[in-house]
Amino acid sequence: MKKILIADDKATSRELLRTVLERQGYAITEAADGEEALQKALAEAPDLILLDLQMPRRTGYEVLRELRKDPRHAELPIIALTASAMQGDREKALAAGFTGYLAKPVALVHLREEVQRLLQANNSVSTGENG
Amino acid sequence: MTAPNPEAQSRATHQESSMESRYRKLLHAAPDAILEVNEEGRILILNEAVERMFGYSRAELLGLSVDHLVPASMRSGHSQHRAAYAKRPNTRPMGTGLELQGQRKDGSLFPVEISLSPNWIEGSLHVIASVRDITERKAVENRIQALREQYTAELTMKNEQLEARNREVEQANRLKNEFLASMSHELRTPLHTIIGFSELLTEQLEGPLGEKQQRFVGHILQDARHLLELINEILDISKIESGRLELKRESFDFSQCVEEVLAGIRHQAATKNITLENKNRFQSSLYADRLRVKEILYNLLSNAVKFTPEGGRVWVEGSSEGGTLRVSVCDTGIGIPEQEHPSIFEKFYQVGDASGGTREGTGLGLPITKHLVELHGGTISVESRPGQGSSFRLTFPLLPAT
Repeated sequence: MKKILIADDKATSRELLRTVLERQGYAITEAADGEEALQKALAEAPDLILLDLQMPRRTGYEVLRELRKDPRHAELPIIALTASAMQGDREKALAAGFTGYLAKPVALVHLREEVQRLLQANNSVSTGENG
Repeated sequence: MTAPNPEAQSRATHQESSMESRYRKLLHAAPDAILEVNEEGRILILNEAVERMFGYSRAELLGLSVDHLVPASMRSGHSQHRAAYAKRPNTRPMGTGLELQGQRKDGSLFPVEISLSPNWIEGSLHVIASVRDITERKAVENRIQALREQYTAELTMKNEQLEARNREVEQANRLKNEFLASMSHELRTPLHTIIGFSELLTEQLEGPLGEKQQRFVGHILQDARHLLELINEILDISKIESGRLELKRESFDFSQCVEEVLAGIRHQAATKNITLENKNRFQSSLYADRLRVKEILYNLLSNAVKFTPEGGRVWVEGSSEGGTLRVSVCDTGIGIPEQEHPSIFEKFYQVGDASGGTREGTGLGLPITKHLVELHGGTISVESRPGQGSSFRLTFPLLPAT
């Protein structure tokens, strides 16, 4: 079972994302701030992270930078989640090293598709490397 | 009567003396002080202006060293200047570029301009000096200079005030933009869960909903999306107004773009049994901001569907003419009274406000659409009459891809 880390300081948002993704058959772990997100990412080795950009203690960008320093997490799918939705935010996030980008409010159909797409893409990359 | 004639002779003498008297009068009539000095600098000849200008009597001046007419502070230098002049005697202004001054008998000083000419008298160098009192001219010059400095100072101050004002306006504009960005973020955060959980409920994966419950959740979802649309449009209009909305031009297939927008509106049209038609004949690529062109078409089409009654028709026309793409979005809807045509592109104007019609939109769709069209260098206009449908006519300049 694929494990997804949901990092968002807003509990209701975490519950929404957890509910949708658990129903898709993923195992979910949660973090309520940037520091916790980083610790859980390192300790629990999730297959994908949904990372809110504006969180206390560490921003999503800071967490991303820390994770990408480690070669083991270089290919880890990390989706930026943000309610800011300003022009150029997506480009900025992808340029910084995020694998995907979802603007809040997130349409559930987009959330499911994006998570599935990135997990499949990463799966084929890993398989390719292993084989 | 033959010459010599004593009468004529006396007339000639009289004429000569008259000539000299006329020259003297000429000399005395001059407003400038004119005097001749010998090699030692003693005054030999002078006109009346010298007396007036320097405050000495003729008797005092005759034989006086011309150095007395020079300020005490300059006197020692003056004899050297005279010696220098004797070496190169020609007609020239004295002390070019210097501020020269004369000194009156009472010791008071006044600004002068002096012109010097050599006059050889029996092998001895005399100098004719013409002195002009330039007190008034200096006063005017000083006044002009003072005015110039005053105006320059005032202008500098005004400029500084203007710059400060500019900085304030920029600062205020930046604060407004920051406020809008943060407000948008703060409003979207709760909308994310409102819309998300409503969607989740309508999917009924957590258990079936009764018919009323479904309808109520549908209302929540619809109004939450409307609220989101409002937030997006307010942000858009603020970006447009502050000139921060930038187009991302690319070459794309226009007819495919029309198809995509029509597909997005099809469900909305079907619920009112409205026929959607694609009459676009422009099959080439368009160099423009693809997402913004879609937004323009979507806004116009969704309006058309909104204001067209059950069973009506909505269609898109497109064709190129010269360097221009002409697009029309037409409907068989309720139409817009002519007196409202100029107002529909204004912010927060809603057609039918006066007639108590329903308010469904944000009142920002058409102003944004107009801005977006104009950002592309295009135009938008409307042809419409109540009960006879509306046609929104757009033009886009066909630009070469760069």
